[in-house]
Amino acid sequence: MNIDLPYTIQPISELPGHEDRAWHVAWNPTKPLLASCSADKTVRIYAYSSTSNEESKSIPTYAFKTLTSIPTGHAKTVRAVAWAPSGETLATASFDSNIGIWECEKVDDMENGENDGSGEWECISTLEGHETECKSVAYSSTGTLLASCSRDKTVWIWEVHPDGEFETISVLMEHSQDVKCVAWHPSEEILASASYDDTIKLYIEDPSDDWFCFSTLSGHTSTVWSLAWSPVFDSSEECTSSTHGSGGPHSHSHATTASYLASASDDTTIRIWKRIAEHKWECVLVLGGHERSVYSVSWCRGVRPAFTEEGTYLGWLASASGDGKVLVWELWDPPSSSAISTPPRHKLIASLSSAHGVHDVNSVVWNPRSGFEDLLATTGDDGCTRVWRITPSS
Amino acid sequence: KAAAGRQSDLLAHSLWINDSSSSSEDEAEEVEAIDQDEIFDLIRSIYDPEHPNTLEELRVVSAPQVTVGTNRITVEFTPTVPHCGMSTLIGLCIRVRLLRSLPERYKIDIFVKPGSHQSENAVNKQLNDKERVAAALENPVLLDTVEQCLANVGSRGAIIV
Repeated sequence: MNIDLPYTIQPISELPGHEDRAWHVAWNPTKPLLASCSADKTVRIYAYSSTSNEESKSIPTYAFKTLTSIPTGHAKTVRAVAWAPSGETLATASFDSNIGIWECEKVDDMENGENDGSGEWECISTLEGHETECKSVAYSSTGTLLASCSRDKTVWIWEVHPDGEFETISVLMEHSQDVKCVAWHPSEEILASASYDDTIKLYIEDPSDDWFCFSTLSGHTSTVWSLAWSPVFDSSEECTSSTHGSGGPHSHSHATTASYLASASDDTTIRIWKRIAEHKWECVLVLGGHERSVYSVSWCRGVRPAFTEEGTYLGWLASASGDGKVLVWELWDPPSSSAISTPPRHKLIASLSSAHGVHDVNSVVWNPRSGFEDLLATTGDDGCTRVWRITPSS
Repeated sequence: KAAAGRQSDLLAHSLWINDSSSSSEDEAEEVEAIDQDEIFDLIRSIYDPEHPNTLEELRVVSAPQVTVGTNRITVEFTPTVPHCGMSTLIGLCIRVRLLRSLPERYKIDIFVKPGSHQSENAVNKQLNDKERVAAALENPVLLDTVEQCLANVGSRGAIIV
């Protein structure tokens, strides 16, 4: 651990239980739940709570516990999990080539009617269509669309209907190899996919026709494993935040429109692609620091700027790698006066080695819930899910 | 560059050959470094998928083609012919044998000898993609073939703990 960095990655909880490699983890966007998936074909659901003494402003303490282990019925590895924006539905992507859709049965005697995830999880739908291993699944920001991808080189877009009904609306065959990851833009209906063919493809819908690929992002020199869009900062949050310091020049309108995409690759780098026109993204920055494949990236709003920069705060980007390290960068949009292709300002703010002992770290995910943005979850080849908190180094 | 993980690739525990001599000493106390001959011993008796010969007999693998670094092992192998369609399977057999025999701290990278295969990059990429390796080993037919190639590996080389 580098003590010179402004933040430290502190362990909060270790959640063992998977009997094989843990591939992926996802925070529920609305409830205090976390889901992880594994080569052991199960999904584990964890619940958490925090207690903090507001008066003394002490560091909150967190309690994580395993709620349940869902056997899933998938015949092979469960490679990825994704929550719907409502937090009510969980999707699983499996090497058995299917997508599972899961909901938790409401427990009757619950007084407030809130579904806390402690009931029985049941498969309400199985989406079939991919020919080989599914690698990733993602809900669009409104929850009306679901994307999936596979080694069969295709990306599927499904329309989400009530009662677990799904309709295939597009099958995109743009990649020449295995598709590793799909990710929806946080506010627009733009889909990105990353592939073993070393490229990233971006898709939108033609209102009078089908979905189509409008851009191919080339630059990585090996497999692209993971994608993360920059988060949306809505203006109300920006205004109520007292943590940005005084006098920091923030362009609110710019903050809501800035759009970046981060990609993680087997070439050991992370690339930052910047939107330079409505339908044009360009690589503006290459981040190093890992020694082996970078398997996962996650981008969140972060908690507070670690350093004051001219420009607009873009949040925190975390990466996880086969070298066992987790790295966190803080990013800032350059001043609006600079050229459109000016890269974001960036600074490594935290670093953690051997996050899962000697094992590869397969995923890193920020908690998206307000008040929990400083929490990270990781999964590794040791079968563990670990939760971390980013705290200022003292 | 991608390292294949351990547990997924080990699959059923019945496939694991327990070494009766394994000690309960802390890993930290082990100071003896693994050398290239020990690694070669582990893989020399793997059968070629298409011949009744071992990889050593066919000169597919050799001790000098093994590189041992700090917690990292690189194995280069030489396909018998430049268009060898079995190269990814041979590489997979080498990887599975090493995954089952080496401590978890080792990251393993496997490559064909430069210039020895017409699809060199494709073979290397597939062999070092942990997700592709994991999925391949969930394919019962492929796993069965790997097991046949590994049927006699115990004759040379001991599990290293």
